[in-house]
Amino acid sequence: MRKLLLIGAMGALLALLVSACGGSSGGGTISVAKEGEGKAVNAACEEEPVAGGTLTYARQLETVTLNPREIKNGNGDIFADEMLYNGIVRNDPSGADKVVPGLAESWDISKDGLTYTFHLQKGLKYSDGSPLTAEDIAWNLEQFRNPKINTVLAAIAVGMESAKATNENTVVVKLEHPVAAFLYNLSIYPAFIVDKEKLEQEGEAFWKHPIGTGPFRLKEFASGSHITFEKNPYYFEKGKPYLQTMRWNFVPNSNTRVLDLKSGEAQMADGIPFAQVSSLQGESGLAIQQVELPQEVLMVTNTKVPALADPHVRRALSLAVNRDQLNEAVFRGTGTVPNSVIQNFELDASDKEVPAFEYNVAKAKEELAASKFAKGFTVSLQYPAGLDYFKQMALLVQQEMGAIGVTVKLEELEAATIAEQWLEGEFELTFPFTGTSSDVPVPDEYAAFYALPEAELDGFKSFWTNSEIEGLVKKFVSSTDEAGRKGEWKIIQEKFNEEMPSLNVMDFPLINGHQSNVCATKANGLGVDQLQETWISKKSS
Amino acid sequence: MLTYLVKRLMVSIVVLLGIALGTFLMIHLIPGDPAKIELGIHATPAAVEHLHHEWGLNRSLPEQFWLYLGNIVTFNFGQSTAFSSGVSELIGERVGPTAILLIYGILISLVIGVPLAILAALRQGGWIDNAIRVLTTFTFAMPPFWLGLMLSLLLGFELKLFPVSGYESGISGIFRTLTLPALTIGLGLLVIVVRNLRANLVTVLNSEYIEAARARGYSQLRIVGKHAMRNSVISTITILASLFGFLVGLLVLVESVFQIPGAATLLVQAVAKRDYQLVQTLVFLSGAVVVVIAFVTDIVHAWLDPRVRLAGRG
Repeated sequence: MRKLLLIGAMGALLALLVSACGGSSGGGTISVAKEGEGKAVNAACEEEPVAGGTLTYARQLETVTLNPREIKNGNGDIFADEMLYNGIVRNDPSGADKVVPGLAESWDISKDGLTYTFHLQKGLKYSDGSPLTAEDIAWNLEQFRNPKINTVLAAIAVGMESAKATNENTVVVKLEHPVAAFLYNLSIYPAFIVDKEKLEQEGEAFWKHPIGTGPFRLKEFASGSHITFEKNPYYFEKGKPYLQTMRWNFVPNSNTRVLDLKSGEAQMADGIPFAQVSSLQGESGLAIQQVELPQEVLMVTNTKVPALADPHVRRALSLAVNRDQLNEAVFRGTGTVPNSVIQNFELDASDKEVPAFEYNVAKAKEELAASKFAKGFTVSLQYPAGLDYFKQMALLVQQEMGAIGVTVKLEELEAATIAEQWLEGEFELTFPFTGTSSDVPVPDEYAAFYALPEAELDGFKSFWTNSEIEGLVKKFVSSTDEAGRKGEWKIIQEKFNEEMPSLNVMDFPLINGHQSNVCATKANGLGVDQLQETWISKKSS
Repeated sequence: MLTYLVKRLMVSIVVLLGIALGTFLMIHLIPGDPAKIELGIHATPAAVEHLHHEWGLNRSLPEQFWLYLGNIVTFNFGQSTAFSSGVSELIGERVGPTAILLIYGILISLVIGVPLAILAALRQGGWIDNAIRVLTTFTFAMPPFWLGLMLSLLLGFELKLFPVSGYESGISGIFRTLTLPALTIGLGLLVIVVRNLRANLVTVLNSEYIEAARARGYSQLRIVGKHAMRNSVISTITILASLFGFLVGLLVLVESVFQIPGAATLLVQAVAKRDYQLVQTLVFLSGAVVVVIAFVTDIVHAWLDPRVRLAGRG
């Protein structure tokens, strides 16, 4: 009897201990400060930027390599490269989908779109003080063009014929055929400029301590732990960066990352989980930021499956998904209901011209009735393991599609396996990636992936083809008429929505957090932190 | 004694070969192509072909295995495909924190566990014994992920006694940054140490030679400290070694929560990216550690206990 009492007492004590450690459960919508929105927390940032200070940033993705033409870990590498190097042009640091001067201060494009003449900034230097010549830039762009060197993004160099330095301040790039997005293609990482001489001297060892022209230079790189940058005194934008040093800790565990931010061990953190946004918003001294970029949750439909070959069916599936509810439940209101099959860009037609995807069960049933599968059908949906919000999303989609008679069998798979099966076309419905984002801030890349056979992606593995859209996209991506492109894209956007080769479930942003005395935490149109603009206020708000 | 040694050595080598073959087959046969993983949506046939060639993946499986064996024997473990480094270099950087963490964790489990085990054994059946067993089972049952986060939250974030995450080298750095993770591991291992040692002690304490020692008037300290422990400790250490796989799993979770740049995390990343060379080398090395520990404990056991030596002969 005594033993029983003892066990009972211990059990109760332990249960109490465990429950005391329970956290709060957030829920409902939160209002998150969009970039640039003024709020009371920014009182500390109202003055002029001050130079100096160290920023510790807890990052979700680890930097594995510093070679911009051999990206191994996606944004983990890309974001670090953006600090160490520049391209001849850049994506607008204020977040607009446009190209602004980089190492070139201006450029001319010939009427036929085949010749780009770049006029370089004066007095350019590498981060070790050695001079940067037009030859160096031309050499780097030739590396960019070479698919054996630029293995990952060889596609965006297609069409480039040559790059030559015509004098010490001018680089001329010639194309074989016009590429409307070419300037954007030159603004991202495979076209970054690195120190040619040192690279040739040191070979692979160069990448352990690379030299570039970016706002920061490398101070220390501890694999698996952190990367430390220091201000590049030779950076071409005078006065920037403001920060003296920056340390990025690699913290893939989201709970630890949030704890680091809350405890002050890090002043900035990215990849804030949606579920934790409201609790962090409530903390004084912290600000949460929504970084918009062309990123979507994409569900690819394999049109080789008989039911999915019919656009009626695909449209029915889209109409059956309650995106508003998904936005509330999974993304806590930070997502945007899309009006385009691919990610959203400034070039897109607005919701007023091309309506956002609606939720309409009656219409869904009508679409289904117009197909051979009016009685419904069974289909499997693969989704990546490891993220609770994805599981939630898959369950909601299963439920909603069930309401129109489509039975969805869920298959949770490891990320590498899902990506492989997607590449092999071994799926019926799949979420191949947790987020599908465009490398450039214009729709050209993904429109080509879907519509052009030369992209070798079989309609982004939906195996969908459409010769009319193919013709329109071909014209669009080689158009030399900048102003006409908006009109052209609107038509393509509408047609894509009509055909629906895949489902865009949600456009969603990156969520970052920072202490409120960290100011000007901007990102460009691709979601890349513009840390050369960031400064730390001495005032705490 | 020599025959025993040689026999054990032969067995160890066969086991190591088996580990090499097993890992090689497993990682190669699961779906997932490292080239396609790296290229993602940009995996055009030409690009994939190019990487396969660069990484030697276009060779036949037996050929790749032969090369792998050659790598092991010459200690040149090749290039990592997921990271832009040599495998030896990469493992060299990362194995330090993991090894220190593991040893620190085991030390904590021994420092806490041995006294508790002795106490439980001496007061066998009493309420202290039961309390100890319930408590250690509880810490074992707590998911290490959760336990680590709770320690980080309470002792790191709330009480600010330790940093919430990160790793620093150097003696003071290790104490500062590795104490919480080691505590998480130690608490997880506690039950193994306590139960095992307690069971052995109970058996030993009831045996005839202990009774004889008591009859001779030896102090409790001498009986337990010298005679009983000597016979009980070895099996505890052998069990810990055989649980190495479990320990690696524990290390992965703890390294993740506390953001320690260790080799266990490296292993998980390597598997996710299907970095064959890195996975094979890491698993082989882990297997080798277990085999070596088993070999050494066998030898020590044989040296300490003549019965084993005699049985091993013939």
